[in-house]
Amino acid sequence: MSNTEGFVLQAAPHAHGRASVPRIMHAVNISLLPVIVISVLYYGLHVLGLYAIGIATCLATEALVKVARGRSWRSILDGSAVVTALLFVMVLPPSISPLLVVIGSAAAIFFGKEVFGGIGHNVFNPALVGRAFIAAAYPVQITTWTAAREVFGFLPPPRTLSVVEAATGATPLAAARFEGTTEPLIRLFFGQTAGSIGATSVLFILIGGLALTAMGIVRWRMVVSFLGTVFVGTGIFWLIDPGTYANPVFHLLAGGVMFAAFYMITDMVTTPYTNTGTVIFGAGAGLLTVIIRLFGGFPEGVMYAILLMNAATPIINRMNNRVFGAEAAS
Amino acid sequence: MLTFSRRGGVHPAYHKELASGLPIEPCPLPKRLEIPLSQHLGVPAAPLVSRGDEVSPGDVIAEAPKLISAHVHTPAAGKVRSVVQKPLPGGRMCDYVQIDVDEERTAAHEWSAREVDLAQVDPQWLARTSREAGIVGMGGATFPTDVKLSPPPTAKLDVFILNGAECEPYLTCDHRMMVEHAREILQGIELVHAAFGFSRVIVGIEENKPEALEAFRREAKSFAGMPLEIAALETRYPQGAEKVLIESTTKRVVPAGKLPFEVGVVAANVQTMYALQQAAYLGKPLGERVVTVSGAGIATPKNLRVPVGTPIAELAEHCGGFSEQTTKIVMGGPMTGIALPSLDYSITKGAGGLLFLTQHDYPDESPCIKCGSCVDVCPMRLMPLKLAAFAKAGKFEEAKATNLADCFECGCCAWACPANIKIVSWIKYAKNYIRVKGI
Ligand code: SF4
Ligand code: SF4
Repeated sequence: MSNTEGFVLQAAPHAHGRASVPRIMHAVNISLLPVIVISVLYYGLHVLGLYAIGIATCLATEALVKVARGRSWRSILDGSAVVTALLFVMVLPPSISPLLVVIGSAAAIFFGKEVFGGIGHNVFNPALVGRAFIAAAYPVQITTWTAAREVFGFLPPPRTLSVVEAATGATPLAAARFEGTTEPLIRLFFGQTAGSIGATSVLFILIGGLALTAMGIVRWRMVVSFLGTVFVGTGIFWLIDPGTYANPVFHLLAGGVMFAAFYMITDMVTTPYTNTGTVIFGAGAGLLTVIIRLFGGFPEGVMYAILLMNAATPIINRMNNRVFGAEAAS
Repeated sequence: MLTFSRRGGVHPAYHKELASGLPIEPCPLPKRLEIPLSQHLGVPAAPLVSRGDEVSPGDVIAEAPKLISAHVHTPAAGKVRSVVQKPLPGGRMCDYVQIDVDEERTAAHEWSAREVDLAQVDPQWLARTSREAGIVGMGGATFPTDVKLSPPPTAKLDVFILNGAECEPYLTCDHRMMVEHAREILQGIELVHAAFGFSRVIVGIEENKPEALEAFRREAKSFAGMPLEIAALETRYPQGAEKVLIESTTKRVVPAGKLPFEVGVVAANVQTMYALQQAAYLGKPLGERVVTVSGAGIATPKNLRVPVGTPIAELAEHCGGFSEQTTKIVMGGPMTGIALPSLDYSITKGAGGLLFLTQHDYPDESPCIKCGSCVDVCPMRLMPLKLAAFAKAGKFEEAKATNLADCFECGCCAWACPANIKIVSWIKYAKNYIRVKGI
């Protein structure tokens, strides 16, 4: 029999589930591997360098801020800075310059996360803060697109490009909005098109995204309400005037909607935590996306839709669930 | 029949295999009993004995001074050594009666079997029998059973539920009781049924205990007079929490802040019903209970029938001692039990488990990532992350307004929290603060 002193006196529960913040973050990072691989195949090896630069910058920025605040830098190992870096790079155009990746990654971590006090305290999705920062400071660079390489030869050829398009490399969304031409849907599904580095390859997003959903890390209610709202919203206008508005399936597959559904609106810190709240958030982000896409100044509206809903999240989170037995008590 | 289910709850690692197959063994009588006089919810019992008094098994050594309290009996014969003040698990000070056990006299004592005329059993008889035998809820809540069985005259009780869920990990004492003593437990229930005339008598057992379900199905045949239903419940913590169990088995929802009798239900634990049977048919007051000694830190896990007041060091020794790797000793189950600083404590009426845990890393809290897991798993549908945050910030009014009082401290939220936030500790802190400062 050993000594009878020095036992841990921590209060119940004396058991803990397997969930941990690093586990969640690492799972998200691993789930992004299919997208990473396909983005390299589509746009070239330099994309791998962009990821590396993004990750290094995010980690360094977070470590610097921690040390400057007199805290341990070790918390950067929780995987959350890597998530931010990957998501940020994935929503950039493939031709982005490495310098902008550095600037944007630093902005994502600093303005998106650390000024609020670090993980758990931020209001806006850090990767989107970085994206918005670059969009505001370097509007030309961030809207210059290159077409993906023909990796999957069995896909039908892309739509014919207009002269203007061929020069600027417009995305399918921009083409649909401003030229009235739609890319074959199957190409969109594979992401073999002009678009951001990782956010357009629907099939590969789904592989990781559905895995995260099965693990409970992605809240399916939010995904369903977001995609459902985009589908119904764009569907209504398409039914009214199919000549002007692209069909709802196109809207689900083109641009960043799928990526947002599984990787942006599902950022836990900046989105609601009750089931009702997640449904409201998804529907709100979907509605704003539809409005911006169909009537706004930009062809793509997902990013601003999410940032706006991030701002509304603290209000949504004020709602409390009805206590078990509350109905019976009243 | 598979009954359930509502949202909330978790699936912790159960570790029941350590002891679920082990028949109940008697724990040897210790040389000295140290019997706390507060083993129940409510006012501590007042000692009736003092140094030098000779006592016999079943003697009342402390009396319940008020309604919500319970008598304390000695399970063994012997001589009172003294009445001392010692902490209870959790830290509150309490009188303990120390008895130097007389083994021979204890062994010679016999309980006399008696007949019970079921036709004569009424609620008053039940309450009296429970009170005289010092019976309390043995599932852990230790609410005096006589009070529970005396609902206000306006209440119409029509459903009885035997709480055989035993949803806490590690614990197998109720399981073994159900396997080995289904008949006696049903006799206990029969007494309650005789007094109240229920229209449904439900035996609720989690489906991970098929032998217990089988034992009850077998014995049920001898109790044709009762409207018995044997219900296999989904294995999910906290299935055995009274309000959860009532909803799982009857679909009735106990109003927030109210007691089960409001919806016509009375639920009782397995060992409570056994104690009632023993009191009625043998005149034997509640002086022992079955305790599961388990965990990776103990040499040989066991289910022991332990006299109340037995020092836990005796149990540890009888189970082969605990290893150097033991970091934590827990009285009760791992989800709600109390960590002990030493072995200087005794088994009480509500102690279903004594666990020797070897967990080594106790990670610090990190910031809440608003993942909502705690909200999802709360069986009361509370907002645990808000309660913890309000408590941390000293915003006790806000915590109260966010239904703090409805939390029954099941531990699901803290179990599920990826940020390791000690949500239940914060909740307890807020509750204590509010109680003491009278907010
Ligand atoms: S808040 Fe209370 S009732 Fe809800 S899960 Fe946590 S401990 Fe259980
Ligand atoms: S489970 Fe923990 S991290 Fe998640 S919302 Fe609740 S308190 Fe926050």
